[in-house]
Amino acid sequence: MVQIFSTFEHSTNLELALTVLEKNGIHKENIFAVPLTNRKTERRLFDSIHNADGISLISTGAALGTAFAVVGASVGFKLAWGPIFCGLIGTSVGFILGVCIDLFYYKVIKKQQRLLRGKNSEVILLIECEEEQADTVEDILWHHYAFGTARIV
Amino acid sequence: MDNYRNVENGFRRYKAHISIAGTTQFHIRNPYVIAWWSAAFPGFGHLLLSKYLRGLSLFIWEVIVNSNAKINLAMVHSFCGNIEAAKEVLEPRWMLMYIPVYLFGIWDSYRTSVDMNKVYLLAEKEGAPFNSFAIGAMEINYLDKRQPAMSVIWSLFMPGLGQLHIHRLLTAFFALTWTILFIYFSKLLLSVHYLFLGQITESTAVLDIQWLLFMPSMWGFAAYDSYINTVENNKLFNNEQKEFLINHYQDRSFHVKKGKVEV
Repeated sequence: MVQIFSTFEHSTNLELALTVLEKNGIHKENIFAVPLTNRKTERRLFDSIHNADGISLISTGAALGTAFAVVGASVGFKLAWGPIFCGLIGTSVGFILGVCIDLFYYKVIKKQQRLLRGKNSEVILLIECEEEQADTVEDILWHHYAFGTARIV
Repeated sequence: MDNYRNVENGFRRYKAHISIAGTTQFHIRNPYVIAWWSAAFPGFGHLLLSKYLRGLSLFIWEVIVNSNAKINLAMVHSFCGNIEAAKEVLEPRWMLMYIPVYLFGIWDSYRTSVDMNKVYLLAEKEGAPFNSFAIGAMEINYLDKRQPAMSVIWSLFMPGLGQLHIHRLLTAFFALTWTILFIYFSKLLLSVHYLFLGQITESTAVLDIQWLLFMPSMWGFAAYDSYINTVENNKLFNNEQKEFLINHYQDRSFHVKKGKVEV
């Protein structure tokens, strides 16, 4: 018997991998999944599909952007550029200002560690199988976007 | 058809529910941000909290009373420094009605989000199972991961599309419908058309101020709502999958092999 270690992120692909493995004769008892708690690092401007802490820097930006858009569009009726351009300028200024306020707050006043950048290994998957099956198992894991695999003999 | 049916009702709190109409969930919110959206447009705070009936009542109330009292018009005049024009345009028969409900919207959405944060913590701790898959004659909805940036981009093109992207059908329908009305009555696209032709004066003159001023909040809200809900739906997917893996792929008889990595 060999054991194959691999890492994944949480995704539908991971469950597809499990289904395909079971279809190829790997019993459920021989699969062991370890979901990880991920280390945190600096806050980012936008959350991505791979990771999200939900408190990114756009909350204040969106709020101030909207407020400045209203004021910009209103004052724009008086200005040469008209309400649409002034509204758009107001939105951008408000959004940037909001992001700056948040950046200042989180970087200077309240230093906090947030989730790691980029793709994270979120799950460790251990599979026990016969030596002959090992290549197939590794193929399946790679095919379903494993970040890395290792074979223990 | 659902993958979980709550027949016994044996739990006190549930943190999420996936239905044909959308993915509804409790998650931690900043009460001040929710209060701000209620101030931008009554009803938006409640819609962010997934309290659709309250949110829509307040929203429709706002459109009716604001349009009749001419609050938006008075705002533009005030920002331009024409205080006399602002006084002129405000309709006293409607104006005072605006104040209490406007403040109620802000206060109530703030209070509710503080409450709902507490409920979330309790529901999270209780860990009750919830429905995470729904299929029916009209629709299909399931937990999945989506790209938050795409929600924002589509919302900016047309408020409501970001919500369609993450299957938030009620907000999507409501945002799409009202955006059509606001854009049509404000003659916004006509104004953009003149801008492309370089005629700024005509472009400004054609706009209907009262209707136009509903749009900035609509855009901001649509982008923000679809963004945070995409992020929260992704987190819900991760947590649900984590639970599933722990329950199904951690057999007691599994032993980690002591050996060497084959290179």
